[in-house]
Amino acid sequence: MDHSTLALLAGGDAAGLEVYGLEQLLAVAGEQLGEEISPRTVRLYATQGLIDRPGKEGRSAIYGRRHLLQLLLIRTLARRGLSLAAIAPLAACSDAELLEQLLHLGEQPAGEPGCDASSPASTEQQEALAYLQSLQSESESSASRRERSPSLLPLLGSPLSASSPSLSPRRSLTPRTAGRSSAASSRWHRFSLAPGVELHLSEAASIPPAGDRREAWLMRLLDRLREQLDNEG
Amino acid sequence: MNPCLHFRPLRPAVASDGASTLELLITVGSPERPATSSAQRPPLNLALVIDRSGSMAGSKLSHARKAARFLAGELTERDRLAIVTFDEDVTVLVPSQPVRDPLLFVSAINTITAGGCTALFDGWLAGATQVATQLNSQGLNRVLLLSDGKANEGLTDAMGIAAKVEGLTQRGISTSAFGLGRGFDEDLMGAIAAAGDGTLAQIESPQQLADLYASELQGLASTLGRKVSLGIRTRNGAELLDVLNDHPRTTAGNFQLPNLRYGQELSVGLRLQLPAWTPNQEIATVRLAWDSPEADGRQQRSETLTLPVLPQRDLDGLDADLQVAEQLALLQANRQRRQAIEELDRGDLQSALASIAGIDMQLAGLPQSDAVQRERRLLAEKQALMQQDRNLSRKRLRRESLRSSLSVWEGRDDQA
Repeated sequence: MDHSTLALLAGGDAAGLEVYGLEQLLAVAGEQLGEEISPRTVRLYATQGLIDRPGKEGRSAIYGRRHLLQLLLIRTLARRGLSLAAIAPLAACSDAELLEQLLHLGEQPAGEPGCDASSPASTEQQEALAYLQSLQSESESSASRRERSPSLLPLLGSPLSASSPSLSPRRSLTPRTAGRSSAASSRWHRFSLAPGVELHLSEAASIPPAGDRREAWLMRLLDRLREQLDNEG
Repeated sequence: MNPCLHFRPLRPAVASDGASTLELLITVGSPERPATSSAQRPPLNLALVIDRSGSMAGSKLSHARKAARFLAGELTERDRLAIVTFDEDVTVLVPSQPVRDPLLFVSAINTITAGGCTALFDGWLAGATQVATQLNSQGLNRVLLLSDGKANEGLTDAMGIAAKVEGLTQRGISTSAFGLGRGFDEDLMGAIAAAGDGTLAQIESPQQLADLYASELQGLASTLGRKVSLGIRTRNGAELLDVLNDHPRTTAGNFQLPNLRYGQELSVGLRLQLPAWTPNQEIATVRLAWDSPEADGRQQRSETLTLPVLPQRDLDGLDADLQVAEQLALLQANRQRRQAIEELDRGDLQSALASIAGIDMQLAGLPQSDAVQRERRLLAEKQALMQQDRNLSRKRLRRESLRSSLSVWEGRDDQA
């Protein structure tokens, strides 16, 4: 991440551009990140609620500084190997916090996740890695020889018991277990909010810790809900 | 700032007129941490590997998450942390990176939920790989493996896993093994911690996890030496009969000691057989070797043992050093627990109870110091527990038996 550009972003108006079309947004973000970003990626993030819905100007979507910050943060974290579910609460922060996170991350070289480009691999490091790779291939070849046993699953108790303690008074403890799959997102929890109103939460969804972040997250959910209800109407 | 080696014989002389048995302690004393360097502990390069198999569901997993958040909060940007979870699949939740913003880790930790089987070895392998990609020879590189279950997916055999863990220890990355609850395999976790040159912990309540992590960090931060080995070479016809600690042996035939920590003392108990001895004759040379986080290359220190000689008649009249006698008895007590475990495994409860009673009888003959009284309380607790809860008594016996040769975390519940 280029510090001077982040400094410009921090300066708000000083950056000049405050409103972008999709193409401009992609160009600015792409340049910052050194990777090409497709319109589909941005739409995906928007539908998943990772970045705010764009505004409208006539028939075209318009994006602002906040969208840019969100997009930069999401891509930076995703390249470090974080799942979108884990990124979501971080991308829901205030503009100032988004910027702060980006500045933090900017101090780490991008590219290979968390790899210090400055320090070349030492001999010890190469030896340890080579050793582990040999164990890995050993383990894989024995796994392929082994008949993979038919799944004895689900051996599940009640999953996700306490990641949302503050929701517990209203939580219905009847998670639907839609068959076992290695994709954690295939399991859902059902919260009864009011008669006839339920919230379904994927196990992979990350609930921000209580406090400002959770409030911001809940507000965004509320906005999304309001938006959708308005559209229905 | 080097550790020092001392010999403490049970009796301060050996026989001049016939064969004799020499019992002694070798103590390895590490100095207090110098005040100047306390601000700069070596950087830590850690991977936390968390079992998320189905049996972890509920309070175990929620405490595991809480403790992981605590761990992330305690580290600084000089340290690196990776988080790996495993059930039958392995997920690198956060690849190794400096802990600049604990929130990033916290966010990922919050997504951990319970899944299926226990691919313990594959989970370890992924965590180890995260540490290896960032191996820092100036720091401490360690995998923290937390599991509540028996390995039942992938490589599952304890000796096979331990051998592979040991290979990595030789390449500069240690492994600590933390067993949680009632379902883990205490023999496997003990073997991993021994092979990993790390800490063994057995936690019965998940609420202890944060305490454990705090203690582990403190232990890492006060590490003076790792890959510590003790070589004992006897001279002039002396013969090493026994090393009471039952340390694992290194490939060179030396004894592998736990990590050296500032302000700590390790005791190794020996029995030697000597022929009639002549004055000033060397009995043995002992060589301690270790890797220091602060210096390159292998560090070492040697001491040679010589003792005054006396006729057997006079020797019998000498008082034994009671502190040495106590330490030797405690080492014996740890060792004899293994016999009780074997008897339990054979289903022979009566013999196991008798073995424990036998250990207690030996301790009853010593001055009742705090350490001896504590040990006798532990034994009485095992006698009662064996009849009510054989699984739990076996786990605790295993843990206690390993105290002679390993860093074993003893939480507060142990004091009971």
